[in-house]
Amino acid sequence: MTRRLLLFFSILILAAVLVTRAQVLASPEQPVAFNHQIHAQAGVQCLFCHSSALRADIAGIPSMQKCMGCHTIIATDNVAVQVLTSYWKRKEPIPWVRVSWQPEFVYFSHQAHLRTGENCETCHGDVGRMPLTRPAVKMDMGWCLDCHLLQPEEKVVRLADCLTCHK
Amino acid sequence: MSMPKTITRREFLKIAAGASIATGFTSAVRSIVIEPFIYPPEEELPGQATWYASTCRQCAAGCGIIVRTIDGRAKKIEGNPLHPLNRGKLCARGQAGLQVLYNPDRLKNAVRQVGGRGSRQFEPFYWPDALDLLSSKIAALSSTERFAFLGGLMPSHTYRLTSLLLEALGAAPPVIYDLQSALEGRSAVSQLSQALFGAPDLPEYDLSQSDVVLSFGANLLETWMSPVAQSVAYGAMRQGSMGRRGLLVQFEPRLSSTAASADEWVPVQPGAEGFVALAIGRIIVEERLGHVGSHQSQAVLYQNVDVRDMSAASDVPVDTLRHLARVFADADRAVAIPGGYLSGQQNGFSSMLAVQALNLVIAQVGRQGGMFLSNPGPTAALRQNPPVNTFDEVMDLIRRMKAGEIDLLLLHSANPLYELPAAAGFFEAIARVPFVVSFSPVVDETAVWADLILPDHTYLESWGYQVPSPGADRPVVNSQQPVVSPLYDTLATSDVLLGLAARLGGKLAAALSWRDEASYLEETVSELHGSSLGAYSARTPSGFWALWRQYGGWWSEKQIRREPELTDIVQKPLLIAEPHFEGDPQDYPFHLYPYSSITLSDGRGANLPWLQETPDPMTTVQWGMWVEINPETAEGLGISDNDVVQVESPHGSMEASVVIYPGIRPDIVAIPVGQGHQDYGRFAQAVIGSNPMALVAPVTDPDTGALAWGATRVRLKPIGKKQVLARLESLDGNGRESLG
Repeated sequence: MTRRLLLFFSILILAAVLVTRAQVLASPEQPVAFNHQIHAQAGVQCLFCHSSALRADIAGIPSMQKCMGCHTIIATDNVAVQVLTSYWKRKEPIPWVRVSWQPEFVYFSHQAHLRTGENCETCHGDVGRMPLTRPAVKMDMGWCLDCHLLQPEEKVVRLADCLTCHK
Repeated sequence: MSMPKTITRREFLKIAAGASIATGFTSAVRSIVIEPFIYPPEEELPGQATWYASTCRQCAAGCGIIVRTIDGRAKKIEGNPLHPLNRGKLCARGQAGLQVLYNPDRLKNAVRQVGGRGSRQFEPFYWPDALDLLSSKIAALSSTERFAFLGGLMPSHTYRLTSLLLEALGAAPPVIYDLQSALEGRSAVSQLSQALFGAPDLPEYDLSQSDVVLSFGANLLETWMSPVAQSVAYGAMRQGSMGRRGLLVQFEPRLSSTAASADEWVPVQPGAEGFVALAIGRIIVEERLGHVGSHQSQAVLYQNVDVRDMSAASDVPVDTLRHLARVFADADRAVAIPGGYLSGQQNGFSSMLAVQALNLVIAQVGRQGGMFLSNPGPTAALRQNPPVNTFDEVMDLIRRMKAGEIDLLLLHSANPLYELPAAAGFFEAIARVPFVVSFSPVVDETAVWADLILPDHTYLESWGYQVPSPGADRPVVNSQQPVVSPLYDTLATSDVLLGLAARLGGKLAAALSWRDEASYLEETVSELHGSSLGAYSARTPSGFWALWRQYGGWWSEKQIRREPELTDIVQKPLLIAEPHFEGDPQDYPFHLYPYSSITLSDGRGANLPWLQETPDPMTTVQWGMWVEINPETAEGLGISDNDVVQVESPHGSMEASVVIYPGIRPDIVAIPVGQGHQDYGRFAQAVIGSNPMALVAPVTDPDTGALAWGATRVRLKPIGKKQVLARLESLDGNGRESLG
């Protein structure tokens, strides 16, 4: 009896872990069904919309004015575009749900990573093939260090230092 | 009824385990909403600061500021390190400017009052309709003499556009009045310069190079004239940049924060400060003190002065006068400053003249460490700075309003119902004006009586320029630019004026032909381009316009001081009338001293919580107001700290808690100005307090027409109530409270 109960609980706990893991890597529900794949296929570069990734810590999300720069005439019959347009007409910002994030105690800079030659896909996965954007990896500290520790030896000292990211 | 089932240990554990697993199933993902900009701010880089240079508008001084903005929002204001006036420093009022921008009580659009004036029922009004309505009111005036404009601390360019509009209409020029200017004696000082030096520009005192400074009622380090520039200079003087430590002597009836920083505080009999100056001058001339040789030419100034009489009238012993005369005259560089308290007396002008004459006697006019005149604007357009009108001129407007001679009144940055003595009768006057328009960004006491409120942007959202007055040691023109896009649907008053001119057409449209405010500014400022004096040069006008905004203005690279030229007024004997006070000394035994608060100044800071919570440096009171009386006076009346007293003058009365303050003459009752707002937003209205302007008699100095705000007598009556003031420090005089 005890053994069966123990097995039952173990399965439950395992299921909970898996579901949680799946949730972390799932696409959050967005107010507008934005499709990265279509945009990438149309040849739009990441930096066209996330324009400050090379110049600032934060990559930035495009202003609605930028969206409407194209969507005033492109794909106006698309339902998602129509939702976007309705926000624009109300002059209301779209409450996007953040897909990738670092906690407040982490100092992360897009600019620093892009300068070393990393590209967006290294961390964000193949966003260009994602109809609905989801996190490619769980961005925890172990994952950061996996990469930091593989760097040339003279850099590892700095890249593994606590204060590099936790200032 | 069954017995409740008891839970076994095993069942409890099962439930607990099940509950914790169920908890594990709930979402482990935090949902964070990120909102994009609808229109991105210019030059915005997410998470990175952009600093914009501009000009502080919290008082008339015009300090240069730099504002840190992130994601299009203003976050922090600092002093502009390049600016020749404040050199990177900024006062608490300047720092609190963010709360002017983010004030929750700002009007978010143009409004009209629908429940009748004074109802405080406002309804949004479409801007073009508001402009149509206002222009139709102007067009319908039977005579342009029936049009009046009352301004306060107006932006220079808005003042100039207003003047052009009124001139083209054939109406009277704007009347400018604000309480801070009255308290610091701005119009009296300007008239003094005109009389002594033939120019209306304000004096600029070279404090940093001075060894001895005699300040007659000028709170140099608080609110008077240009407090940040003066504090910077005071710091240089005291820290011995010249290898010695300067001496500051403060003459005033109450120990202000400036007097507390001085070496000597001389509590002079109110209204007798000029007598002290006369006595010092007489002693210098008589005893041939100092190192300027013979004083023969100045003997005529003091021929009627008797030092003993002056000593008796001013309550300053002859020995002290003699000592001060020696210290002043023997210094290498010394300067005497006629301050605001003097201007608030009915003999104000002659007292100020006597103080300024001391600088002549020791030959410190136009000399290092002495006094200079402020540089005026370098071009004709920039020289048209808003002058401050006298109280007499305001009273004349009030008389015309009361007589029904004004049909349309426009108000910009003026709050006369709060800032004028209640006895001036502005309330009765405004009721007689059929149509009133206010440009105030918040509903203040006067805007409540307006038909329309057309809110101007706040200064961090505005364009502009300003020639600081008093100025720096060189010609300076400040630039002002928006550091953020306007938060709400407000409109620059300059654009309203241009819109009105375009609607009215004809002469008006020709006089105000600029497309918008920014194009007016660009044209006006371009006159500075190509000047050989400038600290920077640009090849093209647009390049100059960019640098003008980046630097926070234009100024000369080198120090250029303006030496005053004397008129012949200084050839006649100096005469000061006995001070006259309103109220019978038997009935009203005390002199009222309403002073400008270091935090709220004349009350314009009362809607900013940061300033309300900043403790007053002398009493450490926060979020409140009080009446300062001498311990001796308190004992005589049986009053203790925090007792509420009624202060009564021949013109009104008010109540407030008492602060027993040893740093005040026993015959003085001092009250800070700034609280007691009926309107002006939640923070201003939340404070228990009254406006001391209810007590002030509407009397003037006959020589200048300036408000003699210090010439009212009052009496005190305890009302048997206590209202404990919030103070940062304890009352035991032993410094900060401790937890022990």
